[in-house]
Amino acid sequence: MHVPFRIATMTGLALSVVAVATVPAQRGATSPRPSGAQADVTARITSSAQALLTKLDDAGRAKVQFPFEGPQKTRWSNLPSPMFERQGLRMGDLTAAQRAAVMELLAVALSRDGYRKVTEIMQGDEVLRKQSSQGPRGGGADPNPGRAGAGARGGGRGGPAFGEDQYYLAFLGTPSATTPWMLQFGGHHLAINLTLAGSQATMAPSLPAAQPATFTVEGRTVRPLGNENDKAFALINALNTEQRGQAILSSRVADLVVGPGHDGKTIQPEGIRASALSAAHQTMLWELVREWVGIINDGFAEPRMAEIRAKLADTYFAWSGPTSNGSAAYFRVQGPTLVIEYAPQQGSVDHIHTIYRDPTNDYGATFTK
Amino acid sequence: MTLQLVLMSGSWTSAHRRDEYLQAARLAIDPDRVELELDLTPGIAVADVVLSEIDVDSDGMISVAEARAYSDRVLNAIALDVDGIPLRVELVESRFPPVDSVRNGQGTARIHAAASMPRLADGLHHLRYRNAYRSDIGVYLANALVPGSDRVIVAAQRRDLYQRDLVIDYQLSGQPAPTTRRGLSVGVAGALILIANLWWRTRTRQREDL
Repeated sequence: MHVPFRIATMTGLALSVVAVATVPAQRGATSPRPSGAQADVTARITSSAQALLTKLDDAGRAKVQFPFEGPQKTRWSNLPSPMFERQGLRMGDLTAAQRAAVMELLAVALSRDGYRKVTEIMQGDEVLRKQSSQGPRGGGADPNPGRAGAGARGGGRGGPAFGEDQYYLAFLGTPSATTPWMLQFGGHHLAINLTLAGSQATMAPSLPAAQPATFTVEGRTVRPLGNENDKAFALINALNTEQRGQAILSSRVADLVVGPGHDGKTIQPEGIRASALSAAHQTMLWELVREWVGIINDGFAEPRMAEIRAKLADTYFAWSGPTSNGSAAYFRVQGPTLVIEYAPQQGSVDHIHTIYRDPTNDYGATFTK
Repeated sequence: MTLQLVLMSGSWTSAHRRDEYLQAARLAIDPDRVELELDLTPGIAVADVVLSEIDVDSDGMISVAEARAYSDRVLNAIALDVDGIPLRVELVESRFPPVDSVRNGQGTARIHAAASMPRLADGLHHLRYRNAYRSDIGVYLANALVPGSDRVIVAAQRRDLYQRDLVIDYQLSGQPAPTTRRGLSVGVAGALILIANLWWRTRTRQREDL
């Protein structure tokens, strides 16, 4: 007599649980709750931004400040200036103290590795500037993507301007520990779009790229995106034949699919599902993903990694090209809240474009409304 | 649908190409329509060749008529079919960058086109996209976007090596209940079962007490 009761009770409970679980999941409520520690990080970034503002004169403050909502939000590119017309505070126009304040702000806003990456990308562009000013160089990379003969250093005659002076900082909205604002920093091969709102932050979309991808500074070999490259090749080579067959696309991928100008476009995922990988391979995948996610301050990177890992079943890893490290190969990691692409340009391992996006939360769409 | 031709003052391209003409297509499938977005980025070494086909009067400006004519020319080289039934691709909008940015190898033209789908039965279908435009200098990307309709599920994408040819296998289904509503319906059913069960228990206990 009691058995039917129990069955009915359990059925009812199960169905109710399914319903309760379904609705919040659709709202993306699986994201870890932001903590006070994250709010502290925002407060520190805000203080650093405010400290920079005190070092600027009125003209500088006017240059750096933009409305939170406006065309500046999506005005970013990997292209060099002035081919891509950037606005904001140009590093080359700053005093040494102001410049140091910008770098201090970046050091607070980014993780140690993120800061290393950003500064190495800028160093690479400085190398490009020096190479360009010395005339055409050997190798596959193109030191001058503009018109033949265009001046490289100053961007005269409309040609590209390379070097560490050619990076721009902008604040969208007023730096605040509680209300939404955005820190933009970018130039050739770099676009950092950090949106903050109290305890929440995102660095999507952002574009770390590199040319040259390997260079020497004071006898030290520098590879701004070397970890990304090496971890991806390690992962593809760790897969068995069947897994590799699922991961490797049958076509060549010539460029980023959702690069600059493709906000709001979500492509159909392809490749092998992360859930089809072994635990060890999944760890390798997450460590690869961390190369992009971990550019932001650690306080925000960890919850973001947890969010991405929670969507393992719907995360894919796709590859196009040869699998021996040192070759030019494209790869993509895509999940419900993540798109990472890595695209060597025109088959050159010395010229890499990458993109990092969150299709559900680019520019902090979910927490800045 | 109103045709719009926009001549852009700026450019958002990411390309650094030299001797290639990047043609990146994104296809969005709906039950009754397919949308095609095509980004065209000539590299610096082929920019003049491409520009001579766009700016035909060589006045250094891309007029609305020139943009329209070039868009039609590109679309004429593109074939779309579903299950072997050819689709008529019509221009919706095109955006062209300034001539100078094209010359610099940094300009991207964007063509938005669309085609109506024939009435299709529920089940598996195959949308095929082929781009034969300027295959002498072209490099191609072709990708399906995640469908906006929950009646369409992309099952697979099959391409040739160069992505000139893309077949999207997709499943078309009848009008399903939105997931949220489905979840709530299941929840309401569960709650009703619980209430009925409690009522039955209470009543049984009352009878046993009697």
